[in-house]
Amino acid sequence: MTPGQRRARRRRGLEFFGMTAPALIAIVLFVEGPFLMSVAYSFTKWNGLDKAVKWVGLANYAELLTNDRALGNAMIFTFLFTAVALVAINVIALGLALILDMNIRGRNALRAAFYIPNIISLIVIGYVWRFIFSRGFDSFGALTHWGLFQLSWLGDSRLAGVSVILVSVWQAIGFYLVIYIAGLQTVPREQLEAAVIDGSGPVRRFFHITLPLIMPSVTVAVFYSLSNALKTFDVIFSLTFGGPGLATTSIALDIYKTAFSDSRFGYGSAKSVVLFLIILVLTVFQLNVFKRREVQA
Amino acid sequence: MSRGRRPRAAALVSVLMTVVAVAYLYPLLLVVINSVKTFSEITTNVVALPSHLAWENFANAFTLMRYPRLFVNTLVVTAMGTAGVVILASLAGFRLSRTRTRTSWVVFLLCVAPMMIPFHSFMIALVKVARMLHLTNSLWGLGTVYWGLGIPLSLFMYHGFSKTVPGELDDCASLDGCGPLRMFFQVIFPLLRPVTVSVIVINAMWMWNDFLLPLLILSGAKNSMTLQLAAYNFFGQYKVDWQNAMAGVLLTITPAIALYLVLQRHIIKGMVAGAVKG
Repeated sequence: MTPGQRRARRRRGLEFFGMTAPALIAIVLFVEGPFLMSVAYSFTKWNGLDKAVKWVGLANYAELLTNDRALGNAMIFTFLFTAVALVAINVIALGLALILDMNIRGRNALRAAFYIPNIISLIVIGYVWRFIFSRGFDSFGALTHWGLFQLSWLGDSRLAGVSVILVSVWQAIGFYLVIYIAGLQTVPREQLEAAVIDGSGPVRRFFHITLPLIMPSVTVAVFYSLSNALKTFDVIFSLTFGGPGLATTSIALDIYKTAFSDSRFGYGSAKSVVLFLIILVLTVFQLNVFKRREVQA
Repeated sequence: MSRGRRPRAAALVSVLMTVVAVAYLYPLLLVVINSVKTFSEITTNVVALPSHLAWENFANAFTLMRYPRLFVNTLVVTAMGTAGVVILASLAGFRLSRTRTRTSWVVFLLCVAPMMIPFHSFMIALVKVARMLHLTNSLWGLGTVYWGLGIPLSLFMYHGFSKTVPGELDDCASLDGCGPLRMFFQVIFPLLRPVTVSVIVINAMWMWNDFLLPLLILSGAKNSMTLQLAAYNFFGQYKVDWQNAMAGVLLTITPAIALYLVLQRHIIKGMVAGAVKG
């Protein structure tokens, strides 16, 4: 190797380092480092303030598996929430997308309208709906005399869960609608028209042509709705703060309370590792199942 | 589902969907209506229109939230966070897609892996790290923390798009004798514009609306609050003053809505780009 070549190589190496290191440092510092620290803290007892961090081995994991009603509740709620929200979001968004993909007047304005809740912060969405559920429903009830509006939508533990799902789905639909519309625009019109000529009805056309062709969009939309539902936090924080009691406390909110209200940072870290594993396993499983069903146009 | 003609059925669907859309947005419409009503009007009937426009609600919310101050705060955080993400992610994403070595591959994997790590599973230790680096209770600190959180997805998008920029351009520019940074920002960066627009949109909307990270990082500082934190405090404090609260909601969401109406096409395209590529 000539000195010139060596110099050029060193210059390339320096250039590579200079351009990639800042990004990598930021990521290691603010995501990967803290994540590894959380894993380490999950084996300790630590209140977040003391210098003393006590190694406790697997005690935190043993406690959360055997002796934590709050986390058990949070898991049941989160899984129920995820199951219902996932199906509702995707079915409604896909249905709306099919309609708004048709050649109807004002479809662009309609698409924009459904997207609006998605650009408002979740924390504000929660407050808006707290207003609707309390003051709004009082007025609706007075006007219509429907029993529906006289129920305690945030005070009853079962109904509060329904309310949280309702608001979350309402807020999310616009985003998934856009994903599905983008998918529908890739479906070749000729194939649908050929199917019409062959005499197949709209339902058959949807399940045999459209749905298989938009599977990539379905995969993406289900992936996002799944992982977002599993880590749901903001709406609950402002709508019910996990209440009444623990009825609408999600895993993410339980982690927050454990660490920042109860000052059990080690134990909270163990819970956060569990949340990571749950999301990882479920999303990888989902991607595997859905990717296998994707076909080429 | 024909796209050619607009038969009568299509007109009916259009009308029906308009009704659905109005019903869908009715909760937000109620916020608008009640933001200009008096407290007693709200408590008697939420649905009714105001007898006169009570603009003083907005003046109240404006001062109670210290709106101008917090608006600027939120803008500083969003701008600083987004700018850092754009610069760092484009530099690294481009370089990594151009370098075909094992090191480059490992660095790339390290950079995109965080897309699989949920925020709630490292937030506890993140607060500790931020405190150690003296980034807590500071807008600049918050903006910096956003770099690490925003870069992975953005870098992934830049990495993919860089393949469409012809490689000959790199060589021409370096022959002309300009350094790698100048080469990048003068020749390559303008060509990455479509991704840059998406990256800005995704990050700015997220940082503007984000709640939990500001809550954790800025917890104690009264003067360095963001609008979302103020909305949270505002509703906690003035639980019954619905008229001011509704005005406060509108003040908080108006910047995002205005931006959305102006950049509608880019925003939707950017959001989808981020989703489909992520």
